[in-house]
Amino acid sequence: MLCSAGIPASTPSSASSTPSSPSPTSSLSRPEKRRKTAALFPNYSPGKVTTMRNPQPSDSILTVLPVDLLVQILDRLPDTGDRKSCRLVSRGFLRAEALRRRALRVLRREALPSLLRRYSFALESLDLSPCPALDDAALAAAVHTSGGLRTLKTLCLARATGIGWRGLEALLAACPRLEAVDLSYCVGVGDREAAALAAAGGLREVRLDKCLGITDVGLAKLAVGCPVIETLGIKWCMEISDLGIDLLSKKCRDLKVLDLSYLKVTNFCLQSISCLGKLEDLTMVGCSQISDEGLRFLKNGSNSLRSIDVSRCSNVSTLGLVSVIEGHKCLQKINAGDCFPELVPPFLTMLGDIRHTLKVLKIDGFHVSASSFWIIGMDCKHLEEIGLAKCKGVTDQCISELVTHCPGLRTVDLTCCHLVTDNALIAIADHCKRLECLLSESCSLISEKGLDRIGTCCSDLKEVDLTDCHINDTALKCLSRCSELTMLKLGLCPNISDKGLFHIGSNCRKLLELDLYRCTGATDGGLAAIAAGCKNLKKLNMCYCTQITDEGLKHLSCLKELLDLEMRGLVHITSAGIAAIAFGCRSLVELDVKRCYSVDDASLWALAQYSKNLRQINISYCPVTDMGLCKLLGTLRCLQDAKLVHLMRVSIEGYELALRASWDRLKKLKLLGGLRHFLSPGLLQMLKARGCRIRWVDKPLVLGV
Amino acid sequence: MDPKRRRILESTTKSCAQMVGDRSRNFNPGQPFIQCNTTNLCYGGKPEQTFPEFPLDTENQSLYQPEHEVKGANQFKPIPNVNNAILDWDPRLVLSNLSFLEQKIHQVQDIVRSISNQEGSLLPSVKNTLVSTNPSVGHLGSIVGAQTSSGINGGQQQNEVMRMEVPKASAYDDLIEGFNGDGNEGSELINGLKSHGNEGDELIKCLKSSEGEGTESVPVEDHDVKDCDDGVDGENLPPGSYEVLQLEKEEILAPHTHFCTICGKGFKRDANLRMHMRGHGDEYKTPAALAKPNKEASSEPALIKRYSCPFVGCKRNKEHKKFQPLKTILCVKNHYKRSHCDKSFICSRCNTKKFSVIADLKTHEKHCGRDKWLCSCGTTFSRKDKLFGHVALFQGHTPILAVDETKVSGISDQVRGNEVMNGIVGSMDYNFAGSTLDDVQILNDRGVDDGRGCFSPMNFDACNFGGLDEFPRSAFEVSESSFSFLPSGSSGFIQRSGEN
Repeated sequence: MLCSAGIPASTPSSASSTPSSPSPTSSLSRPEKRRKTAALFPNYSPGKVTTMRNPQPSDSILTVLPVDLLVQILDRLPDTGDRKSCRLVSRGFLRAEALRRRALRVLRREALPSLLRRYSFALESLDLSPCPALDDAALAAAVHTSGGLRTLKTLCLARATGIGWRGLEALLAACPRLEAVDLSYCVGVGDREAAALAAAGGLREVRLDKCLGITDVGLAKLAVGCPVIETLGIKWCMEISDLGIDLLSKKCRDLKVLDLSYLKVTNFCLQSISCLGKLEDLTMVGCSQISDEGLRFLKNGSNSLRSIDVSRCSNVSTLGLVSVIEGHKCLQKINAGDCFPELVPPFLTMLGDIRHTLKVLKIDGFHVSASSFWIIGMDCKHLEEIGLAKCKGVTDQCISELVTHCPGLRTVDLTCCHLVTDNALIAIADHCKRLECLLSESCSLISEKGLDRIGTCCSDLKEVDLTDCHINDTALKCLSRCSELTMLKLGLCPNISDKGLFHIGSNCRKLLELDLYRCTGATDGGLAAIAAGCKNLKKLNMCYCTQITDEGLKHLSCLKELLDLEMRGLVHITSAGIAAIAFGCRSLVELDVKRCYSVDDASLWALAQYSKNLRQINISYCPVTDMGLCKLLGTLRCLQDAKLVHLMRVSIEGYELALRASWDRLKKLKLLGGLRHFLSPGLLQMLKARGCRIRWVDKPLVLGV
Repeated sequence: MDPKRRRILESTTKSCAQMVGDRSRNFNPGQPFIQCNTTNLCYGGKPEQTFPEFPLDTENQSLYQPEHEVKGANQFKPIPNVNNAILDWDPRLVLSNLSFLEQKIHQVQDIVRSISNQEGSLLPSVKNTLVSTNPSVGHLGSIVGAQTSSGINGGQQQNEVMRMEVPKASAYDDLIEGFNGDGNEGSELINGLKSHGNEGDELIKCLKSSEGEGTESVPVEDHDVKDCDDGVDGENLPPGSYEVLQLEKEEILAPHTHFCTICGKGFKRDANLRMHMRGHGDEYKTPAALAKPNKEASSEPALIKRYSCPFVGCKRNKEHKKFQPLKTILCVKNHYKRSHCDKSFICSRCNTKKFSVIADLKTHEKHCGRDKWLCSCGTTFSRKDKLFGHVALFQGHTPILAVDETKVSGISDQVRGNEVMNGIVGSMDYNFAGSTLDDVQILNDRGVDDGRGCFSPMNFDACNFGGLDEFPRSAFEVSESSFSFLPSGSSGFIQRSGEN
């Protein structure tokens, strides 16, 4: 009894907020562990303890601690890995953790029932989005065995394409206090699922992005069923029209956040929306039928709106935003990117009305001039974020006019502002001491001179995008003074060498994301420096850094946190390198080895063996065979997205077998178009019924980098 | 023979024709017709006198032109066993005349019934005046009243009697002769006439005005009209009040109310009749003939007419203590059919919905099967926006997905009350506060039903009993229900009540 219930060795890796790492106890042999566990067993069943053989004195202290103290201990452990280790030590800790655990992210379907049973006591947030092969039956059964999740408030089912209304009904019936549900990108979700959600009644936050089947009727059901809804995202729900929005705004008066992006709604829906007295955040990206006349309905607002996003609404100009500002004087965020690209004088004047509140202004793609920036700078002194991507006419003078009055700027987006030079960076550095994010992709005129000032002055800098800026190692050296850097994008900077990467690796220890796309100067040495310095790196892109070999990968294999590794076109790496990565980077979730022409079956075997968390893989153009593919797809229980284009050594039967081995888990598949006619229709039907979307590509086979 | 008297004769005979098929009524053979002056009428002898030679009034001549009626009359074959002795006149002509008579008698019958049912007390005085002016009618009635009503012999006998007693009506003996061949029919005709014996005076009186209406070109004789009005309403109705008329079941259910004077074809509307008449000759194509019947009578002060349903116990029946009158004859017809008749028209698509008014069926069929938008209360809608409007209006109502239909029945009972109320509120017709759901449904159908009519309400003026023919369609459809509350001071507008 003790053994069966007390040893959770098989499950902990599947329930965690971060993917598992090898636990210290896993190396123990089973009898040894049993003894240890029994020794640590606290005062729940002392009889049992007494029957056990000599408890070790070093462990006995834990036996006298009550559960609440164990909970206190766990609360003081900040690191999830440490908590995981504790959990494995004893049943007492396991129980303590079950009592205090609020959030659960399930990575394996097999573990779901036992996890829900164990954590049903205090669980408030459940994330099933990475859980593969989840379907109605599995979910309903798991929920049933858990005996109800009475405390659950947040549920994430994003991309759980296998879930239908039956599963939702079962789940929602067991979660009476549910407040937030995320069904984003469950493309099969339709009105019935919406009706199931509506049955939950008390929902306050619902995300339904790209639930393609939802129509006005489904939205109406939701609106009637959940009148207290406050946050609703229906982006990409293409079937929803003005009627649904109208009813929504009549029924859900408490709406605060509404995302209507890319819907085919017209100005009429804005008339309905204007009645929502509590609306704070309105997002209407790409609503091409919305125009300035529609925005005029927001003129008589209740000052409730804090954020409006009309980017990519091609019929909206800043004139329409003038009406919005008239009605809502507390606007904090305006995103007018890629609208009609003209800053009209009334808009600039109206900005004065919201000078105290406006914090974010995005005018991507506008035609701007220095004078308008002067006005913006004079008016919006509290600006924290400015988005000027692809703006025409942005010069150094513009930037200096702006930043001299906006010392609070934290994010400056200068993407594709080709005229910007070092002077602009110097101006930014001089005035915006709290700069955190500098996006200057394709600003090819900037150099180490400007970045030197940035590195000196902006010590808070966290994110820098220097893609396509042709900077050199000196610039990286300057930038490496920003020790807080978490994201650094250096794509298309062929002048960077290992020397620059060494500076980064040695100083930017908090780096989480590094992009070295086509940095052909980077070699194994640079990777060694990065791997040695940036231990927390989660995302690394080194596509087409053709000098990298297996040696470099071996250095990388010490990055235990690495989640996403892209190494397209690394022609020199072989299975040895991949095996090192697979063995070392156990957290790996996404792997792209497209066009690595030396990666063969052995690497797939290694991945199948060690990369248990791999969810997404791209092995297009790799010389793998039927065996490797079948092994990979059949073994990896988490794999949900596979790109298998131009696998020249894989036969039709190989594809067929591999896909049949993984049909219930795959959600996205990229295959060569010709295969459409050779794969059995039954298989394709099974995949489709499971919610798997297949992208058929018709690219000619061109080898080379 | 003075023209007035001749007109009465004509109309009486027409009444006979019309009464074919209506044998259910009891009658007093002896009563009013007894004073009829036999000398004025000649139903016997002189077979050589053909119909066209009959000395006609100018207004009648247009109706009796044999040359122009041939086309229409061709449709009607002469009765096979017509007496050879009378073949020297045209049987088709007789037929056409008979159909005209039929039409007129039908009209008169309607009127008389309504009058007799409602104000019996008025009859004697009217009778007296009539008797004094038209003694011949009474005589005719008395003669006819003596006859038995069945068998060929009876018919023969009638004719013989008439021949003796009314020798002067040279034209009509031919007419009656025509019926001798078909004795049964003839006897029925006479029978029908007899059935009207006790009301005959009233009938004839009103007939004058209706005749003037029925044939467009005939100007209405004012004194006759006045007689009619005075005789009916003048005495014991308080001023400002309306006049209540009641049609009998048979009139209400009669399929046609307009008849071609030449070929006898029946029409529901006089506009259609006018269109039809064009085929009978060029004189019907003149703008005057094609125009709507003139409205000169409307200039007179007219009392507002309201109608009562003949069904005793109905709220629309005048005996009901909360009597609510119907505004037009069309209202009467539709109300009677909807409320007191079988719903014999079944929708061929859904096989569930039944209607007694065919227009309702047609309206329904337009939408049947397209009510795919369902509310949880069980209400169906043909349009999504209507459903959403409904859902927005009521707390707790929610659209039903197509797959959920089985659930509807359970929910619908709870919300049924709301639904009924919705119907009433939606129609804004407080006349129907107490009406059933079915009525509400009918009410909703009204809009389409009414769409057909394009007549001005002015056609239907107070003194015009020809108004039977043309159901005036009010141009004020939207506001009519609110108008129904107003004391009817504006006689120019004949408002239809909410129920049509």
